Amino acid sequence: MALATLSCLLITIESSTRMLEPMRGALSTLVSPIYLIAESPYLLSNSLGDLASSHSQLRDENQALRRKILELSQISQQYVTLKAENDRLRGLLGSQGRLPYEVLIAELVGVVPNPNTLQIIIDKGTDAGVHIGQAVLDAQGLFGQVVEIGQYTSRVLLVSDADHAVPVQINRNGVRSIAGGTGEVDRLELENIPVSADIVEGDLVETSGLGGRFPAGYPVGVVHSVVVEPTSTYAEVLVRPSALLDRSRHVLVIFKPSGPVDTAEVNSQ
Amino acid sequence: MNPGKGGWLILLTVIIGMFLGVVHVPETWPNWLGILRPDWLLLILFFWVIELPHRIGLIAVWLLGFAVDTLQASALGTHGLILASVTYIAWRFFERLRMYSVLQQCGVILLLVFTSEVVQIFVASIGSERDWGWELVTVPLMSMLAWPFVYLVLLRLRTGLRVE
Repeated sequence: MALATLSCLLITIESSTRMLEPMRGALSTLVSPIYLIAESPYLLSNSLGDLASSHSQLRDENQALRRKILELSQISQQYVTLKAENDRLRGLLGSQGRLPYEVLIAELVGVVPNPNTLQIIIDKGTDAGVHIGQAVLDAQGLFGQVVEIGQYTSRVLLVSDADHAVPVQINRNGVRSIAGGTGEVDRLELENIPVSADIVEGDLVETSGLGGRFPAGYPVGVVHSVVVEPTSTYAEVLVRPSALLDRSRHVLVIFKPSGPVDTAEVNSQ
Repeated sequence: MNPGKGGWLILLTVIIGMFLGVVHVPETWPNWLGILRPDWLLLILFFWVIELPHRIGLIAVWLLGFAVDTLQASALGTHGLILASVTYIAWRFFERLRMYSVLQQCGVILLLVFTSEVVQIFVASIGSERDWGWELVTVPLMSMLAWPFVYLVLLRLRTGLRVE
């Protein structure tokens, strides 16, 4: 009876405040080996796949990667010029240049089993300097954010989880909105879009950096459909996330240079 | 769950139960398969409580609930409440439950797991906008179907290894 009361009390505290976060962190350090064991078949099959690939396969892959590097370095050369030009223009406007973000590469080591929630476990925790609220990317776009940290692992809430939302803007024209998750892995929804807003299928949606939690300018997804009901006030805009939310095994944890984005920009020089 | 006299087996099966709760199918398989997962840990605990009621401590089970909450990303205390309640009920009626046929036990399991799902959904709905779906029906049904196997395997282990 006492235990039941204590449980109810804990549940109430947990759902209304963030007081229990340190306790959760300690517990997740304790139980993370179970996730590791559960994930080991996939981790093993990945490394075995690397071992078993033949010489010619490796050569082909190597060639493809070389080509990719060439392409990317060409793009990054352009990027350097663009960056310099952008900084110069920003200087003319009187605002400061943007600071580069540091990243930490992490690997997926577990998936939260509850089918109603989209969360994963990654193999970097407080030991690697990860903290709650950090943005997580994969190679294609915004992946999610860190919601719980243990010593060696942390839990990441994916962008399409029903409890997740991220401030975004349309890349083409800067229309701002909030992209909320739907609980379905391949679908986000832009909230409170007026029917007259200039959003069309195929528009790139990127983080706006408002709110200071997510860095600005990372792709979130592509507008998949815009449905305007004659009777409703808002348009229903569905977005397909760019990140491979159910496939990526390697993700990047983003470290901000210092403080929220806007203050960092002001203090940079 | 103190070690000695085969307590390690109880602990091991409980850890296996937690492990079965998080192991998942390849990512390429559809996501909804997750709702067909029986509540392994609850079945395993239920078995040990009706077989060896003196070996399972209520507080130990309640603390175990915290580990499960962390694994399942539910609010701290949820599984403590569920597992401790199930332990208490099983412990209170263990003589009667042990005499039941496996079919009758299946019925009890169905009720217990259903209640557990209702509690989980209620707790999760306090601070979340997530939708809740078929697992309210499928998890109790799958747990009920899994019970005879869990029962037979654990009984074989218990008698084979003389855990008392």
